[in-house]
Amino acid sequence: MNDFTLVRANLFRRKLRAMLMIVAIFIAFLIFGVLASFERAFSSGETTAAANRLVVNNKINFTQPLPLAYLGRVRGVEGVRLASHFSWFGGYYQEPRNFLIAFAVEPDSYLDIYRDDLRVTAEERARFLADQGSLLVGDVVAAKYGWKIGDRIPLSSNIWTNSSTGGRRWDFTIAGILRPGKPQSDTNLVVFHYDYLNETRGVARDSIGVVVLETVDAAVNETVAARIDSLFANSFAETETVTEAAFNKQFAAQFGNIALIVGLVVGAAFVTILMIVGNTMVMAIRERTREVAVLKTLGFPSPRIFRLVLGESLLLAFLGGIPGLLAAAAALAALRPLLAGFAPGLALAPPVALTGVGLMLLLGLATGALPALNALRLNIVTGLGRD
Amino acid sequence: MTAPDLIRLSGVAKRFTKAGQGITIFDHLDMGIGRGDFVAIMGPSGSGKTTLLNLLGGIDQPTGGEIWFDGARIDRLPEGRLADWRANNVGFIFQFYNLMPTLTALRNVELPLLLTPLGRAERRQRAEIALRIVGLSDRLGHYPREMSGGQQQRVAIARAIVSDPKMLLCDEPTGDLDRGTADEILRMLQLLNREMGKTIVMVTHDPEAARYAGRILHLDKGRFVENELAGARVS
Amino acid sequence: MPRLLAQIAAVTAINVKSMPQRAWLSASTVVAVALVVAVLLSFLAMANGFEQTLRGTGSPEVAVLLRGGAGVEINSSISRDQVRLVEEAPGIARGADGRPLVSAELYVTVDGRKRAGGSKANVTLRGMGPEGAAIRPGFRIVGGRMAQPGSAELMVGQSLVREFAGFDLGSRVRIANADWTVVGVFDMGGSVFESELWADIATVQSLFRRTNVFQSIRVRLDAPDRLPALRAYLDADPRLKLDAKSEVAYFADQASSTITLIRFLGWPLAIAMAVGALAGALNTMYSAVAARAQEIATLRCLGFGGIPSFVGTLIESLLLALLGGLLGAAVTWAAFDGVTASTLGSGFTQVVFAFRLSPVLVFQGVVLALVVGLLGGLFPAWRAAHVPIVRAYGNG
Repeated sequence: MNDFTLVRANLFRRKLRAMLMIVAIFIAFLIFGVLASFERAFSSGETTAAANRLVVNNKINFTQPLPLAYLGRVRGVEGVRLASHFSWFGGYYQEPRNFLIAFAVEPDSYLDIYRDDLRVTAEERARFLADQGSLLVGDVVAAKYGWKIGDRIPLSSNIWTNSSTGGRRWDFTIAGILRPGKPQSDTNLVVFHYDYLNETRGVARDSIGVVVLETVDAAVNETVAARIDSLFANSFAETETVTEAAFNKQFAAQFGNIALIVGLVVGAAFVTILMIVGNTMVMAIRERTREVAVLKTLGFPSPRIFRLVLGESLLLAFLGGIPGLLAAAAALAALRPLLAGFAPGLALAPPVALTGVGLMLLLGLATGALPALNALRLNIVTGLGRD
Repeated sequence: MTAPDLIRLSGVAKRFTKAGQGITIFDHLDMGIGRGDFVAIMGPSGSGKTTLLNLLGGIDQPTGGEIWFDGARIDRLPEGRLADWRANNVGFIFQFYNLMPTLTALRNVELPLLLTPLGRAERRQRAEIALRIVGLSDRLGHYPREMSGGQQQRVAIARAIVSDPKMLLCDEPTGDLDRGTADEILRMLQLLNREMGKTIVMVTHDPEAARYAGRILHLDKGRFVENELAGARVS
Repeated sequence: MPRLLAQIAAVTAINVKSMPQRAWLSASTVVAVALVVAVLLSFLAMANGFEQTLRGTGSPEVAVLLRGGAGVEINSSISRDQVRLVEEAPGIARGADGRPLVSAELYVTVDGRKRAGGSKANVTLRGMGPEGAAIRPGFRIVGGRMAQPGSAELMVGQSLVREFAGFDLGSRVRIANADWTVVGVFDMGGSVFESELWADIATVQSLFRRTNVFQSIRVRLDAPDRLPALRAYLDADPRLKLDAKSEVAYFADQASSTITLIRFLGWPLAIAMAVGALAGALNTMYSAVAARAQEIATLRCLGFGGIPSFVGTLIESLLLALLGGLLGAAVTWAAFDGVTASTLGSGFTQVVFAFRLSPVLVFQGVVLALVVGLLGGLFPAWRAAHVPIVRAYGNG
């Protein structure tokens, strides 16, 4: 036997009550695990962005086009190591509801710049570069539609019209599969040759969406951004150059303050269990006043009794919290394919799990503090109730 | 009596305020209990016998006077040191046993040993020995609710002696038991006093119980009224 | 039967009066239930507000014409020739000057900065002619004046002014290498249009290098039932590959996905939290029954049956839950009702909307609370009805 035996025995003296508390805590940590992971995955663009990657977009708004000629001029700016560009295609497969994240890109430089995030084999890459009508498909997309290398796939655009056919359809051959380079990498996309689109769409010739570039070092990001923006100042299309992280963050923020909503809901869940568990702990220790007094009589020092009570609320927090986080991990695994487009790499990430453990500690301490203090202060004579 | 007392009270006072009124339990109490004594303290309700026991056991502190135990003054020790002192020197036995309902007999007895540096195996061994002494070797895994009152009190006695204290303090140890069981418990205390040399102070209102002691002190309104040597009853 | 009711009333009264003895525990149940209901109602009020904004936007007398298959304005493109052809279509109302009420519009996305947090977000800049305001029922200038044709003047919706910084009346705004002045603020009944910037079509076309390009045509119909006639005209002319929809239908289509998303987030969350609160309610009620065991047993001795104890406990639990439900609704109302927020609409620009609590939503919240109260009271009530009578004699 040790102190832990005592703590455990005390906690489960009323099994039903202990189970109810554990369920309440379980739920709170389930909610926390799922929402915090969701928020993290949703804003993953911000955290997974390469530190030295910058995005040059039209100062009016990132949906406004830039001239293709800007790419060459950006490449000439001191401090730029690599540059590429991509344009939104507004793509869908067969029906508008089969919406795809499709970009028209400059093939070689695009794959170079995203070499750490999007992996293709050398063979697939060579095949893609060689055929202007070919397509690279993210593994998530390929799995969703059951596409394989070599398949002929028609993609439609809700923006552009194919001037060679008059329709909105473009035909592609799948040259390869894009696989995630890092666990959080977003592979829910397809990319194809910009030239293919540019030569067939008839309008908006030689305009591109944004330029993406890699600086020689993250330390020069600001200088490079300033150089680029001053290069195009007072031209028809003024630019705003920001880090990829900032770009992704602003993009995500368009949906609303997800972090705030998650914070409020998780806060409400925690206040709820704090109230329930806190009150129950106070009550449980009050019921045991006499036992606490006996322990003191036996010579248990007050600080040790304080720790025993705190240990009980901590044990409770962990017994509910750890399974809650595990259930959250399971729930996230189930949600992962459904939300792949919205929140890539949805999983219980170590930082979220760690925060969860920290919250368990806090919860245990917060709910145990008052009863532990009462036990600490308990006068033996009153506690034994013999006078 | 030339040998120094194990515990000595000199000029002890205990007063407290309740509902705005000052109440004096003891004004100026002197007493000594020698090593190996078995003392019964008797007296009507409110005579202060439980308070006296609390003072002897260091779970209550006097408002005046001094309490010396084994040559050291204990009445001014801070709570932490006092807890240590209790763990090393005193075993308590209560009227309502006060066992932990969530622990088995063995673990209840082992409880005080958690305060010692003893290892797990040795703690268990000592707890088993203590339970053997009180004749409960076959009840190690039982919970208090599964035992009779007499058995529970024997577990409590085992808990009191397991850390080998010099002094046992008993508060109406047989108050909740029938005559036969009470005698059994009292004989056990007597045995601990004689064979193992435990100094025992027992508060009781039962004259039959008091007769097991070597000395009876009568307390009334905070004073000892007469002392007598009990007609030591041996079965 | 009346005797049973009298017994139930007596026991319930005793229970309710003893609630303050467990004040903290009872209060924690009330607060737990209140928070569950508040979370649910916040989500529902958000969905409701967004829906009201979108549904409140369309007018049945206005038809929206987009390039076939474009679905939303931002994807559409329409030429000046097509606009001319539409002006001759049947079913279109005419203004006082006899000209058809047709508004060809260009929709571009520009950056705005939210007042809260200062983050950048997409805002609609709509280029339109003077007909634009004329065809929209409910349009009203609430500050300043209309923008002059051919000028770089902006009119802004009042929702946009509330939510975004820098668009107050008289402000100067730099967009697309030009300095614009905000000359008017308009009200359109809280609709999506109130989240937009309006400017002269020719100015927008030239500054954005989109000369002679439009994205949508809005027409005022003679009557709502004239839409088929307009469609027949469009279908008959191969140069007019345009889809025509009533504006009501256009915005209703846009509303559904976001609203479904919000509701599908709100309910599971609220139900999960309700399970947590249920644990709290059960605990409270079991404690209440335990604390009253002797009292209940005494009543049984006096000849009270088990049913009054059962019902009395259940009522206590329902009462706590109801209190929590109402408190939650009140908190949501005080904290969120009317609060404005904005999110991306289907045009990929911000739609400003306000949280709207409605009696129907409050009812849903209270029902959820009562379910928690019912389940939380049922098992403890069962226990209360089965307290052994001997408990009356002892203290354990």
